Amino acid sequence: MSRSNRLLRYVGARVALAPVMLWLLASLVFLLLRLAPGDPVDALLGTRAPEAARAALRAQLGLDQPLLQQYWRFLIGLLQGDLGTSLTNQQPVRAVIGQTLPASLELGVVALMLAAVLGLAVGFSGIARAESRLDLGARLYGIGTYALPSFWLAMMAQLVFAVWLGWLPVGGRFPPTLLPPSGTGFYLLDSLRDGLLHHHWQNLLGSLRHLLLPAGTLAVLLSGIFANALRLNLRRAMDSDYVEAARSRGLSERRLILRHALPNALLPVLTITGITVASLIGGALLIEVTFSWPGVAARLQEAIAQRDYPLVQGIVVVVAALVVMVTVAVDVLLAWLDPRLEF
Amino acid sequence: MSVRPWAGRPQRCAQALAGAAVALLVLPFLGACQPRRDPARLIVASRNRIDTVDPAGAYTVGAMQLLSAIGDPLYAIGTDGRIEPRLATDLPRISGDGLRIQVSLRRGVRFHDGTPFDAAAMVFTLERFLAIGKLSYLIGDRVASVRATGSHSIELRLRRPFGAVSQLLSAINLTPLSPTAYRHHARRQLSDRFIGTGPYRLSFFTPQQQRLEPFAGYWGRPPANRGLDLVALSNSTALFGALQSGEVDGLLSTSLELDHQAALSRQARRGLLRQATGPALEIGYLTLLTDQPPLNDVRLRRALALSLDRRRLVERVSQGLNLPLRGLVPPVLPAGTPEPWPAYNPQQARRLYRQAGYCGGRRLPLELTFRSNIPSDRLFALTWQALLQRDLGDCVTLAVQGMESTTAYRQLGDGAFQLIVLDWMGDFPDADNYLMPVLGCDKARGDRCLQGASAASGSFWTRPGLEAELRRSASLSGDPRLALLRRIQRQTAAATPYLPLWLVQPRIWVRPDLDQPRFDGSGRVLLQELRRP
Repeated sequence: MSRSNRLLRYVGARVALAPVMLWLLASLVFLLLRLAPGDPVDALLGTRAPEAARAALRAQLGLDQPLLQQYWRFLIGLLQGDLGTSLTNQQPVRAVIGQTLPASLELGVVALMLAAVLGLAVGFSGIARAESRLDLGARLYGIGTYALPSFWLAMMAQLVFAVWLGWLPVGGRFPPTLLPPSGTGFYLLDSLRDGLLHHHWQNLLGSLRHLLLPAGTLAVLLSGIFANALRLNLRRAMDSDYVEAARSRGLSERRLILRHALPNALLPVLTITGITVASLIGGALLIEVTFSWPGVAARLQEAIAQRDYPLVQGIVVVVAALVVMVTVAVDVLLAWLDPRLEF
Repeated sequence: MSVRPWAGRPQRCAQALAGAAVALLVLPFLGACQPRRDPARLIVASRNRIDTVDPAGAYTVGAMQLLSAIGDPLYAIGTDGRIEPRLATDLPRISGDGLRIQVSLRRGVRFHDGTPFDAAAMVFTLERFLAIGKLSYLIGDRVASVRATGSHSIELRLRRPFGAVSQLLSAINLTPLSPTAYRHHARRQLSDRFIGTGPYRLSFFTPQQQRLEPFAGYWGRPPANRGLDLVALSNSTALFGALQSGEVDGLLSTSLELDHQAALSRQARRGLLRQATGPALEIGYLTLLTDQPPLNDVRLRRALALSLDRRRLVERVSQGLNLPLRGLVPPVLPAGTPEPWPAYNPQQARRLYRQAGYCGGRRLPLELTFRSNIPSDRLFALTWQALLQRDLGDCVTLAVQGMESTTAYRQLGDGAFQLIVLDWMGDFPDADNYLMPVLGCDKARGDRCLQGASAASGSFWTRPGLEAELRRSASLSGDPRLALLRRIQRQTAAATPYLPLWLVQPRIWVRPDLDQPRFDGSGRVLLQELRRP
């Protein structure tokens, strides 16, 4: 069988397994939520509502039905693309996810881009002057940012840039004095569109000002991973036989790195990027909470505290589906790029 | 082998550094590009994320605060604690048997959509709340039906006489809604829009931000500001920073860390901020499991009551922001004084522990549960544990354990906790709303409540005749009601199934260039009065 056929079969198997994984995950979340003590009525009414009122609300929310019946309804809804209705505000779960997921994705994508630029620049600088002070600094940066507690860095950034200097807002996603742009839910894109079409550049500036601190903080935290990965893999590649052979043929160091070492060093970085993207789809909880970023991770945390079963299930299923898609895409890309890989 | 591909090209590093410097220089530029703010529009921040603005679904303090600005109740509790007609024209008229309540409604009031407010709208609202309200038990337990008796008068038929009906009708959840705007939501919630009669109309809603515009057709005094933006930030540090940096004009104390509250209060004392406090209507208390050993022994319960140094606990836990409390009813409410629980007296406590067979070699082991997601609960548990160890360490030993609140609530009715820290704020300010939810009992055997509020709250304590007295107190009014409520509190204090701890006062801090803010008698900031002169 040719490599392209094997690749196609591999992709097909990964795609076919995805629904099974999602079903298992959804069932597990469904079960775990019901096993956890307390239910939405306890979270909503606290300690004092009469038992009759609690029973009435339980019936109103459909929680009095047998577990199997609830599970069946959940699965049927899932197959039809209906994730149910939030118990706390009666809004469709899809709408809640539609409001919060773009916020997390926007934060994640911008942070990832910044992190990649910053991390790759730092990682690369280590190669520029190996064992020099710059290299030492790059190593320290990589280890330091990786080890920094995210909430601490976020709070320090908040304190310095928002409270002391007053340059950037403390939190939130958009200036409260302006109305958020309508459209895709990605405020940066929507604001850019408003700016280009209607010359409302205030929206874009507002979005940027609010995005900069959380995305910058997240980028610094993630950049260490990129810096270390690139530095180590580039160093390994530069010491390999094929680079030595190329050098002996008289290629310049720049060409050696850019044409021979870097492509090979970037393959593991691509894997790391995939894992990072997958983790960012679910949101960066501590960053979202610290900067009051209305993303999906912060919403999931609240939904768990409120025992909002449909919302927790919906968020987990959607995020898991995206994670599966991203990991499959990265695997396929790697398989396509790296001829050494067997599948 | 080491490689130096760019050796001899240090300018690259210089370029990188220059790039970083430019990036840093962009930050103050972005800082300067803040959207221009209308000084007459104000931003008020809190930790209150609001999931729904529908009065039928709203139950959080933040949602109530918002509803009080965009809606009007039939009655309101004034700043002096008195009942004031708002959308009603006068106090309710009660029939001789106490079962029919007539309420006359204000004329000339319009909803935000321009439709008139009348009896049909009020009936629509109350019936809707009874059908789908999360807190429908508030009136469902008491109101059997409601009907219009004229274009601007309604009649409530009660299940049993209830003396505090005006207070009940001051609940902001009962704020009237436009039947036209809610015609497709008569039996389901409308979470992100609100069409009521309040001084502001809601022009934009997300759980994190609500924009309020003055309602031009408001029947009462128009708001003193040109509009408000209510924003929710998810952590206390961010809120504190936002007020410090001037990003927001006001900050509500709900869910703000006590450290931050104390720091803001200190700044207010130095004149750097303005602070206002509302009536203390939220109580913190301990529930004691009275139907199991060892706390089925009333001597031990009383000994515990005498072992609580509330003044010191409040000082340590809230840095003096909370007020010590020795009653279940807040002192600002009628029947809230005198406070019948005993004051701290370790000598007398020791005598009682001794009588019960403890002290001098035998220590009473107790376990206190606190809600792990509420920092003040944890601090209280640890502080009391240390104080007991110091003052009565040879008589009692306290083990503490944390548990997430929703998990704890589920287990209360199972009698899972010897001692647990809880809090409560009545949905409307009346003693009945503080006593009934902890003392009510539908089914009892002797002093043990088998079913009802007392069992559900984890104490299981009752006494013969208590439920009848509670019901009778609800039907009375004036001095006879006060006397009965005080007697009920005294008898409860003697049996000590609960230990009141402290009162929480709501606060708001605003920037010093704003006028002094005020609270109403229900503990809500009068947002329409906020003003930058």
